[in-house]
Amino acid sequence: MSAAGVKVELKPGAYKSGLKPVWCPGCGDFGVLNALYRAMAQLQIEPSNTVILSGIGCSSRLPGYVKTYGFNGVHGRALTLATGVKVARPDLTVIAVGGDGDGLAIGGNHLIHSCRRNLDILYILMDNEIYGLTKGQVAPTTPTGDKTKSTFWGNPEPSVDPCELAISTGATWVARGFSGDMKDLTEMIAAGLVHNGFSFLNVMSPCVTWRGDDQFKEMKAKVAHLPEGYDPSRRANAVDYTREKDKITTGILYEVEAPSLTDQLENIKERAMAGNGVPTTKEMLSRFYPKF
Amino acid sequence: MPTRDLTFAIVGSGGDGVITTGDMLAQTGASVGLHVMKVEAYGPQIRGGESSCTVRISADPIFAQGDLVQVLVVFNWADFAQFRGEILAAPDAIVIYEEADDSPREGIDLGPDTGDVRWVPVPFIELAKESAGTKLAKNIVTLGLLSELFKLPQEPLEKAIRGKFAKKKPEVLEANLRGFEAGKLHAAKIADAAAGKRMQYTPGEPMLLMSGNELSAVAALHAGCRFFAGYPITPSSEVLHLLSELMPKVGGYLVQTEDELSAIGAVIGGSFAGVKSMTATSGPGLALMTEMLGLASMAEIPAVIIDVQRGGPSTGLPTKSEQSDLWQALWGSHGDAPRVVLAPADVEDCFHATVAAFNIAEEAQVPVIVLSDQFIAQRRETLSMLTLDHEVRGRQVPSAGDLHEYKRYKETKSGISPMSWPGMKGGEYQTNGLEHTEDGSPTSMFLTHEKMNAKRYRKLRLVRDKYSFYRHYGTERADVGIICWGSSKGPVKEAVLRANGRGERVSAFVPQLLYPFPYHEFQDYIKTVREVIVVELSYSAQFYKYLQTFLDLPEGHTYVFKRSGGKNLTVGEVEDKIQKVLEMSAMRREVLV
Repeated sequence: MSAAGVKVELKPGAYKSGLKPVWCPGCGDFGVLNALYRAMAQLQIEPSNTVILSGIGCSSRLPGYVKTYGFNGVHGRALTLATGVKVARPDLTVIAVGGDGDGLAIGGNHLIHSCRRNLDILYILMDNEIYGLTKGQVAPTTPTGDKTKSTFWGNPEPSVDPCELAISTGATWVARGFSGDMKDLTEMIAAGLVHNGFSFLNVMSPCVTWRGDDQFKEMKAKVAHLPEGYDPSRRANAVDYTREKDKITTGILYEVEAPSLTDQLENIKERAMAGNGVPTTKEMLSRFYPKF
Repeated sequence: MPTRDLTFAIVGSGGDGVITTGDMLAQTGASVGLHVMKVEAYGPQIRGGESSCTVRISADPIFAQGDLVQVLVVFNWADFAQFRGEILAAPDAIVIYEEADDSPREGIDLGPDTGDVRWVPVPFIELAKESAGTKLAKNIVTLGLLSELFKLPQEPLEKAIRGKFAKKKPEVLEANLRGFEAGKLHAAKIADAAAGKRMQYTPGEPMLLMSGNELSAVAALHAGCRFFAGYPITPSSEVLHLLSELMPKVGGYLVQTEDELSAIGAVIGGSFAGVKSMTATSGPGLALMTEMLGLASMAEIPAVIIDVQRGGPSTGLPTKSEQSDLWQALWGSHGDAPRVVLAPADVEDCFHATVAAFNIAEEAQVPVIVLSDQFIAQRRETLSMLTLDHEVRGRQVPSAGDLHEYKRYKETKSGISPMSWPGMKGGEYQTNGLEHTEDGSPTSMFLTHEKMNAKRYRKLRLVRDKYSFYRHYGTERADVGIICWGSSKGPVKEAVLRANGRGERVSAFVPQLLYPFPYHEFQDYIKTVREVIVVELSYSAQFYKYLQTFLDLPEGHTYVFKRSGGKNLTVGEVEDKIQKVLEMSAMRREVLV
């Protein structure tokens, strides 16, 4: 608010922290960061009521570049920190970000349970199909057969589809975007922020350094938006589209309404506090007198 | 001769109602103002298997579980055999056992000196069947028998039985009341065996009967904790259980997370968001939390972690106590990661140590580990409401001036920088597991790292100066001084007071703040004693070695009594060491003369 009490409109630039990203020139994560600035401006999100949390990896540096409260935590645990922030302070806007290694390998368990809980946050997983910060090892989303620093003879393992995983474990909003499509990505981030429940956004975000210049071109060629009239409420549809091997289907794949963890915990609190004042320490202790 | 202090042990299988019997005995004592300490022990089985319940009831204050059981009730000798060396009978104990139990009795070891034990067979099952029509009433028969035999208050017991079966059909209650009477009647037949063991006391006001875990949970709420995240693990889960009910009642939130990594992560998140947050775990869980303890140190985020120690390493002895997480709590870390370690020494202390942990965490912006253990966390003992209060403090909030070009990690003399939280305009910052500058920006510069390490460690000075708390028992100057920590305090205190009663100059020193090390307090104490005994339940003597890193313990005059956990420390063990060292000390003095 200005001195006159008139709300000043926040432009995307207002969300920039001033810290210069450490990312390589051409990194897909720049696209995600810029789309995030725009989406936040679109929704006029109050920076001081927002927390962005991350784990470790190239993409996990993102919180430092946004002028909100930020938390660059430890590897794989962004969602655990976000759980604490959102549950303890349901009034805040909470965004978690990270890469495919951070969210699907070391942090995979937390992703499953955040989806299941329908934790009321937006989680942006920047997927470059490789470990970037540790310099080019195989990741859970690296295609089978690919040669990386740690798969000299080619990747012997199948990759995981993050969107299918999120859908099957209970996320209520699942989308896929491409870092090269700013307009589309901005809209998706805004929609994910508005959704009540766990919003999972898988952004294909090429790594120029460890996947080569061609990754961007290859991805771009494979990107196909969901068809007009697509019904995101049907799980089977969503799974069919996300499984398409020769395409990267972008758009909101899945969206259903269900009580978020915040809703459930508020309900519990209401029931627990109904008709009673907050018990004092003495009252809580008194129940431990013998019952006779 | 009547007595003012009796220790009962009841042993049987899971289905024998051992725990209910012990619980009702304990509640009965508490209801008339007697001092009670109740300890349960189980095998690792989920259902069934051996279980035992030891209840000490006394007209005078008590500090330890009774070493030697005066009244032993055994439903099944095969179950008793599973507690070999853990339940020891007094020389003149009365052993009441199920007449119909045909489990082998060879090799049953009641203890080292049990020559005058009185053996009393009782047909519990038959009495239950006859009076109540079911052998399930066996434990109620037992209560009738014990209350009559040892002159325990019967009116509250009868009320307890009525309460227990209030929701059942009236026939069930009637049957159990008949069982209670049958027990009382049978007691008359064996009354002689109880000679010298009839309780004499003056009834008083009811006392609270609580476990350390229950007190830790209430203490957290007293301290203002409004977010708890935890993963179930024995023997800490009661904290989670009680808070699951109470936390929403005070307007807070609780999540059972998918693992301990998530629990500590959520606690750090909640605290970062400005809400006092806590988790509770045991050794294996603390191991999983270790990485993020480093994060809390680095990012200077308050966090309270209760570690209820059990036997280790690995899965170890999940249901039994040990003091062997000390090094893990003190040093378990990558990098130089300051934290604070507190050790409650008894059930009541679980209240004070937990509130103190929040005060320290909030004031110094550090993780604080409360090293409880199974012995104090799960035993129930009587407490007075009057002792359960503790001052509550909060974190240092930035002033309007601080929020102008806010520096979250601003250099200060104390090392403590005002901490903003989300919702505070102008207080936005990025916190970091990476080394960072005063405003929170990541850096790898040596000079900043050195400066920030110094800042983080400097905060411990304030903790040491402001929060050092210790207990001193016994004579002001002593021939023998015992240094111990945590739950060892109970038996040590009782042994010291007994020795003083005999006119021996013995004392004990029990710090509650373990780290930062209260150097001066230790140093001052050592000056008052001739010989030192360090007492602990850690096979590798973790506490003794910890003391050595900071203190010059008197050379040639320091003794260590250490052993594995799995069996609680007894007063007898401590008395024995005191005697040996006293003799040694006297011998030395003769030589010197």
